Amino acid sequence: MLPFAVTLALTAVLQAQSAAPAQAPDLTDPEVAHVAVTANSIDIDAAKFAQTRTRNAAVKQFAATMITDHTAVNAQAAALATKLGVTPADNAVSQSLQSGAAQAHSALESLQGGAFDRAYMDREVAYHQAVLDAIDKVLIPTTENAELKRLLVDVRPAIATHLEHAKQVRSQLSAPARTGK
Amino acid sequence: MIVWLMLLLAGVTAPPRTHTVEIRGMEFHPAVLTAAVGDTVVWINRDIVPHTATATGSGTKKWDTGQLGQGQTGRYVVSRAGAINYACTFHPTMHGKLIIR
Repeated sequence: MLPFAVTLALTAVLQAQSAAPAQAPDLTDPEVAHVAVTANSIDIDAAKFAQTRTRNAAVKQFAATMITDHTAVNAQAAALATKLGVTPADNAVSQSLQSGAAQAHSALESLQGGAFDRAYMDREVAYHQAVLDAIDKVLIPTTENAELKRLLVDVRPAIATHLEHAKQVRSQLSAPARTGK
Repeated sequence: MIVWLMLLLAGVTAPPRTHTVEIRGMEFHPAVLTAAVGDTVVWINRDIVPHTATATGSGTKKWDTGQLGQGQTGRYVVSRAGAINYACTFHPTMHGKLIIR
């Protein structure tokens, strides 16, 4: 249940897309930029929280990488927005992302130890999968500016790597050698 | 055996070379690089996110480029023969290998 809460917004967008594949998504470039920055910021905040809660070295390291990478991507996005004279515009997708993230955060807040680690990593797997799908099916196709599109194309492999990294850490957590509840 | 000796001799006598490994799209290019003792390997990060090239495994002499931001380079002067696996410490799914003659 938890991993899906935060991805509901993106999933809704994707479902709308697959229901009407011929129809172009209704996002302007300033809105795409806002969605991208929001998606990065959500993952940075989640990672910062995880660092205060987890005691697992692999989870800690994963969280540190999320902060470093998504911060670097946001810096690049901000620089590009400035260069293009684009002001990121808040929109319904960004807002649902934020409310999904708030829901996920409150669910994580009540967890400790191994239960927290598993729930956080489940969320990270689902979140990066959803972001990857959104990049492919919504953000890249809808973006008109070539440089903004290029940034999304350049960022995609990092998100794919994060997804694999998250799956790797998650599978370590469920290893039979681990004991406890 | 003779061929191998000739290669070894060539390796010893050839002037040191510099090899470049590009890090782009969250991969090392080339993923497997063959070099000789005395050569220099240079990693250049073309990605937005930072990377490292860090020797893995316990037996090998440790080396680490440290954090490479976008456009930054790190180097390693090859000091011993053998196969060395390396990875990015930030992204454990990224692997590379040096084969040192």
